[in-house]
Amino acid sequence: MNYSSTRSRIVSRIFSMVLLIAGAVIVLVPLLWTLATSLKTPAEVFTDSFFPAAWMWSNYANAVTAIPFFTFLKNTLIILIPVMIGTVFSAALCAYGFARFNFRGKRMLFLVLLATMMLPSQVTMIPMFIMFKEIGWVDTFLPLIVPAFFGGGAFNIFLIRQFMRGIPRDLDESAFVDGANQFQIFTRIMLPLSMPPLIAVSIFTFMGVWNDFQGPLIYLNSSDKYTLALGLSMFKGLYNVEWNMLMAATMLIMIPPLLVFFVAQKYFIEGISISSAIKG
Amino acid sequence: MRNSKSERAGYLFILPWILGLLLFTIGPMLFSMLLAFSKWDIITGVKSIEWVGLDNFRTMFHDDLFYQSLKVTFIFALVSVPLYQIASLLIALLLNMRNRGMKFFRLIYFMPSVIPAVAASMMWIMIFNPEYGVLNRALSLFGIQGPAWLQDPSYALGALIVMGLWGIGNTIIIYLSGLQGVPEELYEAANLDGAGPLQRFRNITLPMISPTVFFNLVMGIIGGFQYFTQAFVMTNGGPLNSTLFYNLYLYNKAFKDFDMGYASALSWVLFIIILVFTLLVIRSSSMWVYYQGDNEKD
Repeated sequence: MNYSSTRSRIVSRIFSMVLLIAGAVIVLVPLLWTLATSLKTPAEVFTDSFFPAAWMWSNYANAVTAIPFFTFLKNTLIILIPVMIGTVFSAALCAYGFARFNFRGKRMLFLVLLATMMLPSQVTMIPMFIMFKEIGWVDTFLPLIVPAFFGGGAFNIFLIRQFMRGIPRDLDESAFVDGANQFQIFTRIMLPLSMPPLIAVSIFTFMGVWNDFQGPLIYLNSSDKYTLALGLSMFKGLYNVEWNMLMAATMLIMIPPLLVFFVAQKYFIEGISISSAIKG
Repeated sequence: MRNSKSERAGYLFILPWILGLLLFTIGPMLFSMLLAFSKWDIITGVKSIEWVGLDNFRTMFHDDLFYQSLKVTFIFALVSVPLYQIASLLIALLLNMRNRGMKFFRLIYFMPSVIPAVAASMMWIMIFNPEYGVLNRALSLFGIQGPAWLQDPSYALGALIVMGLWGIGNTIIIYLSGLQGVPEELYEAANLDGAGPLQRFRNITLPMISPTVFFNLVMGIIGGFQYFTQAFVMTNGGPLNSTLFYNLYLYNKAFKDFDMGYASALSWVLFIIILVFTLLVIRSSSMWVYYQGDNEKD
């Protein structure tokens, strides 16, 4: 390396770092500003100050009572917990079926599975609504919970199946010889060995339910059944809810996914990277 | 293992998915197809479904809001898809440098992707506030008088596009993982041949990450045409229908007007639009997507 190319390398490195830092600031400012707003007095929200003059932590206490925050939280959890169980278990079952058994039509069914990932939800949204309305499930949590137990989503099946195919066959075959039945092999051998994709699927499911908006919007009518995502948006226009409190509630709804993200970032980023392995 | 017993076990394991497929995908698709050719307001019950042939599709030709929602959605897709892809790739290239602190930057850039769309929308309603929002205050530092953003028909769609840029962390991470799969030897060989950074990018990086570009492009198109939550929460289609996204119009027809037949017809048009664009990308992919070791199938 001669002198000038070393120097140009250093210059481009510095330039890249400046760009990265500038981008990071742009990413963080909206979050910090929301946090700052959530700590201001109502009057201060509409002034030029970025930082609050006094830190009004009481906004958070007031926010959870100004809107029925804990009701929304409870509703969200009532949906979240069964959906997570249903999704992980039924996706793992189906993934095992596709990973380890040969049956007529398997290739075709697997192609159908992949194809359903392309179908926009809008096409099935209206008939599903009508169906759930006919059986009296509208304005209950059931339409948001029950479908999770039927396969757990094509993408999740695909993700777990790819992983299970990599588990050595000797393990399940020797268990079979020892007299274990297929279901025991599934629960005692395949499930414990498939923890990485199962954790990834759990995290994605948590995020999906926590963030879901259109589902609760369609199926839940009474405000005492709203989830956090729906409830927050519906309280936006109410005169008795101040912006500082609304921003406090907004910060609160962000915290669980952010916490999960920081704790489980490894699975997150790997899970997403795996998805790029799907070839067209 | 292929005997009748293991075959039965195989079907048994995938049974939940097969039931789900019939109940929540194929059944609804068939019903939706029927509805697309019918007139029906849901209140009068399933018995009053009335077959009207192509009427719903004919209505679309004279429906100004249908055209408006198509226009909004196409402008959004045509601008945001390339913009987000280029921005994501550039940031991924920066994040791919070998430097201390890169992990930290990756976390920061990815963080907005895990924030619920509703929460992000609430944040950005305040950020776009013409007088007190942080965006216009930042612009005023440079002597720029910012527009009214969400309240101005000529800026509202642009505002949503700008906001989307904030949440491209997902795409960035996928590009980053693509970039990390590029073998280092290729760059070393190119260096010996005296290739500059732009040449290396064009002749090595781009071809090697083309499967990732392909994946992101398809996902971007599918997502772009289904944009809903942010528009619903932030503008609800306004002002003057300037952010009336196709999906929002479909929702209004189905769940506000209860015009289920027309809404179903709209949903099939959306499906066909997405399918056409996805197929175009897939068809063209043989010309520009390069798979390493292409002989290993499945």
